[in-house]
Amino acid sequence: METKKLQERVKKVVANVLKMDPEEISDDANFIFDLGADSMQSLELVAAFEEEFGIELDEDKALSVQTVADAVNFIASYLK
Amino acid sequence: MAYRNLTSQEIEKLKQQGCSSESWGTLWVDEKFTPEQIFNAHFSGKVTLGVYSETLTIPSLGKHPAGIWNASLKDCRIGDNVLISNVQNLYHYDISHHAVINTVQTVTMTGETHFGNGTELEILNEGGGRELLIYDKLSAQIAYLLVHFRYQKNLIDKLQRLISDYCESKVGTIGHIGPYAQIHNCQIIKNMTIGEGALVEGAILLEDGTLAGCQEDPVKIGHGVIAKHFIVQSGSHIDDGVLLEKCFVGQGVRLGKQYSAEGSAFFANCEGYHGEAVSIFAGPYTVTHHKSTLLIAGMFSFYNAGSGTNQSNHMYKLGPLHQGILERGAKTGSLSYMMWPCSVGAFSVVTGKHAANFDASDFPFSYITAEEGKSQLTPAMNLFTVGTRRDSEKWPSRDRRKDPQTFDILHFDLFNPRTIGKILNALSILQNLGEKSRKEQEFVSYKGLVIKRLLIRSGIKYYKIPVAIYLGQCLLEILEKTKSEKELKEILFSIPIKENTEPELWYDLAGMLIPKSRLETCFEKIVSSKTDSVETLLLIFDEVASHYKADNLSWWGHLLKKEYGVYPSELNKELIIQLLESWKTNTVKLNNMVLKDAEKEFDPTSQIGYGLDGDEALRKIDFEIVRGTYDENPFVKKLRLENNQVETRFQAAINALKIFRLT
Repeated sequence: METKKLQERVKKVVANVLKMDPEEISDDANFIFDLGADSMQSLELVAAFEEEFGIELDEDKALSVQTVADAVNFIASYLK
Repeated sequence: MAYRNLTSQEIEKLKQQGCSSESWGTLWVDEKFTPEQIFNAHFSGKVTLGVYSETLTIPSLGKHPAGIWNASLKDCRIGDNVLISNVQNLYHYDISHHAVINTVQTVTMTGETHFGNGTELEILNEGGGRELLIYDKLSAQIAYLLVHFRYQKNLIDKLQRLISDYCESKVGTIGHIGPYAQIHNCQIIKNMTIGEGALVEGAILLEDGTLAGCQEDPVKIGHGVIAKHFIVQSGSHIDDGVLLEKCFVGQGVRLGKQYSAEGSAFFANCEGYHGEAVSIFAGPYTVTHHKSTLLIAGMFSFYNAGSGTNQSNHMYKLGPLHQGILERGAKTGSLSYMMWPCSVGAFSVVTGKHAANFDASDFPFSYITAEEGKSQLTPAMNLFTVGTRRDSEKWPSRDRRKDPQTFDILHFDLFNPRTIGKILNALSILQNLGEKSRKEQEFVSYKGLVIKRLLIRSGIKYYKIPVAIYLGQCLLEILEKTKSEKELKEILFSIPIKENTEPELWYDLAGMLIPKSRLETCFEKIVSSKTDSVETLLLIFDEVASHYKADNLSWWGHLLKKEYGVYPSELNKELIIQLLESWKTNTVKLNNMVLKDAEKEFDPTSQIGYGLDGDEALRKIDFEIVRGTYDENPFVKKLRLENNQVETRFQAAINALKIFRLT
């Protein structure tokens, strides 16, 4: 999948879970420090990515993903 | 022991030393009695004195000769080498050897008493219905049966009868102060039994109670304590203005800092400071440290109450409707509030204000948060938090009990047939909810809770981790004990299995884990005519507890059949390796998730407020000086080491298996 498109879909998922405008989410935004995600929302983000992209993410590695850019790269590795 | 009357010379000597008596003829003394250490004492009624020849070491007085100074004694038996000093009234007491009563207003009896034994506590419901009869040999398990199995009429009748008989055996008109007990600077000690080695210092009022200590683990009661109708078992310390009325305090408990409790039972290793308890069953390791924390009409164990934790439910109904159940390991966050009745699963965390009566008992290791007025469940979330792991590891090392006889039976395993059984229930419920939910739904509802639809899937995924760990761990422990294929087969074939049965329900009896069938056997033994004393009850539980490991293994065997379709005796090498690989993968995965959670405690958010008025570099330096670094944190190091050991243990088991055929 094209990176730009993947990035847009990731931001859409993040915006939906964190109840934000996708425009407010920068490419390198940190889920916790910049977007204010709490630990439960972190779990929800993982589940939402899995549903959006039809993939199953590795639990402990997924929790290491800290930024939107990390998420794009991490998900891309599952879509190859 | 032979006693004699005083000689006329001894009476004269006593008079010279300021002593008086209504009738010297009712004063009896030991054959070897000498009057040198008796000054300003008044005797009335029948008083028996021993020998006062030793010098005692007393913390507040230093070295002091045994004897009686400035005291009024009536109908007492005073043992050898006792020190009684400045006691306004000492009436109707039996004082054992080497006891000290120093500067105490009154130590009296006011007629027949049970010394707190047989006091009835209204547990879990202030309005009654689950009365707990307390006595000085009560265990958490017997209390659990009395409170929770009211519908087993024969059992309850028998327990109540045995306890009542025991309490009747305690009735007396003479109070007791045990050997080496010390009572200093107190106001009123009334209708009390004070056990061996107890230290009572500065108490305001102790009335109708038992301090049941022993030499190895005496009870300590400190300043400003007021307690009525109560039992305190060995090794417990109650201090600093604690108020108790109708309470049971088990072994190794700490109550202090003005804690106030009524109608409540605290079992092994509980801690209560500052707050208030009413009608609670504080199972082992219930801890509440903060002001404004009210625990009311709830059942807890291995519990930690955050500041301002509160529960209620009067609701202007027919009376209080209570019954709050927090299974072992639950926590409540600061200012959390729950409207009873509610049920919280094991090792779950509750935060926020909850007005719904929810039942989360089938969802252990979860978060229950209050979101926009709803109680929201995040299943399995607390599985991989650092707190859960730390708690489960700290409890065994914090068992304070030193008494050779411990009453409460405690099992500490985090993953056990009870928690894994609940997880299996949760998996089934989540799968069902997932199948019924639509993609457009944000939430699904379950027993007063809402669950985010997206978290159903993650809940299932995370709950499968401990199941895999438990299945592999039991097998690994068998393999680690086995030296040959023959021995392995013997063990696997010896595991008791009931064919075509599901893994059975296990109970958590306030710290003791037990399968349903074993508990039923226990009930049969209790109601049988052979069980004729409360001491026998304790023996029954000791016997039952001795089966824990074997019962656990049997449950594992049934779970193996349920999950993999084979009984332990049918395990082949391929499946053993598969189970071990799954154990390894999931153990490391869970540890890594816990490590990831621990890492948050060192991230920039955790450093807020450090390095005050400095730049980021100073903030980091200040934080590291105070909190240390992630890599050097002892818990982190331990968990990393455990991950290495997982690999080592796995490899050792695989290597051992190489020589086995196991077809």
